[in-house]
Amino acid sequence: MIATKKREFKDLMENIKDYKSFFLVGCSECASLCGTGGEPELAELKETLEKEGKTVTGTFRAKTGCQVLGTKVELKPFKEQLDKTDVVIVMSCGAGTQAAVEIFPDKPVYQSNDTMFLANMTRYQMFDERCSLCGECILDETGGICPVTACPKGLLNGPCGGTNDGNCEVSPDIKCCWVRIYERLNKINRLDDMKKTREAKDWSKSQKPRALVARTKEEKKK
Amino acid sequence: MSFRDILNSGKFAVTAEIGPPKGTDIKEMLHHMEILRGKIDAANITDNQSAVMRISSIAVCKLALENGLEPILQMTCRDRNRIGLQADLLGAYVLGIRNVLCMTGDHVSAGDHKQAKPVYDVESVQLLKIVDGMNNGKDMAGNDLKGATDYFQGAVVTPESNPIEPQLMKFEKKVKAGAKFFQTQAIYDIEKFKTFMAHARQSNVKIMAGIVVLKSAGMANFMNNFVPGIKVPQNLIDELKAAGKEKALDTGLNIAARHIKQLKDEKICDGVHIMAIGMEDKVPTIMERAGLL
Repeated sequence: MIATKKREFKDLMENIKDYKSFFLVGCSECASLCGTGGEPELAELKETLEKEGKTVTGTFRAKTGCQVLGTKVELKPFKEQLDKTDVVIVMSCGAGTQAAVEIFPDKPVYQSNDTMFLANMTRYQMFDERCSLCGECILDETGGICPVTACPKGLLNGPCGGTNDGNCEVSPDIKCCWVRIYERLNKINRLDDMKKTREAKDWSKSQKPRALVARTKEEKKK
Repeated sequence: MSFRDILNSGKFAVTAEIGPPKGTDIKEMLHHMEILRGKIDAANITDNQSAVMRISSIAVCKLALENGLEPILQMTCRDRNRIGLQADLLGAYVLGIRNVLCMTGDHVSAGDHKQAKPVYDVESVQLLKIVDGMNNGKDMAGNDLKGATDYFQGAVVTPESNPIEPQLMKFEKKVKAGAKFFQTQAIYDIEKFKTFMAHARQSNVKIMAGIVVLKSAGMANFMNNFVPGIKVPQNLIDELKAAGKEKALDTGLNIAARHIKQLKDEKICDGVHIMAIGMEDKVPTIMERAGLL
């Protein structure tokens, strides 16, 4: 999922101070789990804005805010409220915000969150970054632990000289990912994988902006 | 004799580190170069060491050449992508620089520009392969170079790291990638270092033990707590403590000299790399006490 963090309200307020009426869009997926775009947060922001003398014409929680067409359909019943709205505030990740920009080409769209990273939720509302979306997985060779993400230097061939009693040079309270990889490969009898020299990464696979068509030509025709 | 020839001839080699200053005032650095000229076999010129921005390593290597010192260009992957690294390798070569030490580099979070975007497009093992390729007339993409380099390329290793196995695997990769010599992270426990050397001797590479001069018991404790990969044994800390404030530095110089002498006399490794960290002027004293001058 995408980890998001609520922005300081005063920063959001500074951006929207010239507008009067607002429609709030949350998201049932990641932002709800992060506590940045679920029902409680929609209600909270509505209340805060109203305290500031602003009007909130409506609140709505998308099923999947980054899904452009689906969200557009879900928003149809809110037409009347939306017509009376100066500004849409999106309470999800940057993808959700940009879906709203596509759905509301004529309205200003503002965002209440900062978008952080692709996250694994390890415990309730605790998030770890484990994948960098680099476009080329090497997990099969590293015991399923991604050094591109877990190593601050993204090292592909083993630990740097800075590992300290098995901990990371950059974050001393975290175990060095290459020590973790070593221990795991040792446990599953795959240490030979660690001895392989990995070539420099092909970063052209993560050249931005990326696009993907996940359906076949035949399906596309339908 | 060049640094390469000295190491290859089996003579015990001595290198020392010179850190480029932060700013354009190079008087003190030139003074250090003068002190070291004719005494050491080559000088490592650090590359924005500890991720602190300073004069470029290549520029200072050129100054070293002009001032009669053979430079070892330290090159880290932190600040340049593969295009920048190769361009600098070619540039350094035509300026007369012949030794390069390939390193990944300390993370920007350790330095004085913490907001910087670290590069790490490639890392130490891959940089060694790049140098090896350029020595064979090819760039990293396989294009022909109009004139190859002829670098003597080295790398670093941390023999006192715990656990050691992942470090040894990486050491092997560096050997395979073309490293000809290694300078180690600080060595304080010579018995432990011998274990590493038993492993390293299986490969046809030269190993220079890293010597970091201890200034006081406080510095030793600080390094144990905050400098990754360094472990100063308690007996050395006790020795520094017993010397008292006034004699601590002198004792630190003695410890460095004693270790160097032992490494040389017992033929444990192929040379030493002295990191005096701001006390470059003390390097000749250490060398004298170690019987090298």
